[in-house]
Amino acid sequence: MNLSSLLLPAVLFFALGVIARLIKSDLRFPPDLAKILSIYLLMAIGLHGGYELAKADFMIALSSIMWALILGFTLPIIGYLALVMTKKVSPLDAAAISAHYGSVSAGTFLTAIAYLDSQQITYESYPLIMLAVMESPAIVVGLILAAKARHSIAAKEGKPISGGAAVITADDENNGGNFGELLKDAFTNGSVVVLIGSMIIGAISLDSGMDKIKPFIDDIFMGVLCLFLFDMGMVAARRLGDFRQVGLLLASFGIVMPLVGGFVGAVVGAKILDFSVGGTTLVAVLGASASYIAVPPAMRLAIPEANPSFYLTLSLGITFPFNVIVGIPVYLGLAEWLVG
Amino acid sequence: MVQLYPEKLMNIIANDSLEGKLVGMFKKYGVKGYTILRARGEGSSGFSADSSGFDSNIFVKVIIPESKLDTILGSVECKIRKGYHLTVYISDVQVLSREKFE
Repeated sequence: MNLSSLLLPAVLFFALGVIARLIKSDLRFPPDLAKILSIYLLMAIGLHGGYELAKADFMIALSSIMWALILGFTLPIIGYLALVMTKKVSPLDAAAISAHYGSVSAGTFLTAIAYLDSQQITYESYPLIMLAVMESPAIVVGLILAAKARHSIAAKEGKPISGGAAVITADDENNGGNFGELLKDAFTNGSVVVLIGSMIIGAISLDSGMDKIKPFIDDIFMGVLCLFLFDMGMVAARRLGDFRQVGLLLASFGIVMPLVGGFVGAVVGAKILDFSVGGTTLVAVLGASASYIAVPPAMRLAIPEANPSFYLTLSLGITFPFNVIVGIPVYLGLAEWLVG
Repeated sequence: MVQLYPEKLMNIIANDSLEGKLVGMFKKYGVKGYTILRARGEGSSGFSADSSGFDSNIFVKVIIPESKLDTILGSVECKIRKGYHLTVYISDVQVLSREKFE
């Protein structure tokens, strides 16, 4: 592992954010800054990727989408089974946590791009479509796993099923329709709309128009990423405080699961999709990262019985910093080994 | 002397992902209006909301005519039973123009 990776400005700013929080600095970013910056980052990367993808091979793009779906549906099941085996969390907590690990973190993906750029490693643009595709399927799997868990809990206790939004109950508002609504939310979620919309705009825009916005999407990109990771470092450090609440075994899931997901992703990237080292690293990062934007609100709505401290601490406080600081170089090493 | 009318003010603290659910409930029971503020804090559920915008709380204030109070409270209670983290309290208030809320 190349330790110089830690000297990337984006990673150093992330560390500064963590330190600022730990030393209880009065530094505060304006509310919603990370959200605003993530819209910019998704827009810039989408425009860029869409422009590249317009020149790409349709069949490879299609097979990337298919494998993104397979990863999105499989990884939460692996995570769920592992969590249930630990017996440290309820099946409903396991369903909510594993949904986060099947989905992706755009912040981690963008840090990986910064890392590859700094090492002058080229990468395919297909992983970008996979990023957009993988945001949502895990939410669906999480809902199915939760419904299954509720059935088995109810059967064990001999009670009718109650709780959660994704079950049909006789009480007040239209719970039956909520499963459909949650699915709609999963697929029309903000990050997906920004990313796919920008990719389409990038693909159909004229070259002259793209040249005009180059300073906005290219030149300032890495600076904005630094600012974003600075803010996210503070957010992650805040979650780190809940470490004791999740316990050592569950916290170790936040490190082992990304390694497993990263390995599966790297195998898919190198052996099935036949990507270069850079492309394989990005697919590994997709497999390894856990969502902290799209999935938490979906889980709060759909699996209210699950403890949000568990999934937020794991995805934001443990897995995100792990991937940014340690994981990305490990996945690159893995990609180099697999691509050979 | 200006005429004031007694009403009930329902205050709800919840995660912002539940906003749609709460607003849907108000509309269903014919509540005429509501006010939602961003909120931060810490409570019995053991976690505080971030100001980063990824996981923030909302503070909902809604005037409810006494005739609808029980039905709406029943619906809120049902949500809490399902596991949703809601902090709810009611206070007596006096309003100027009753027709806005009835």
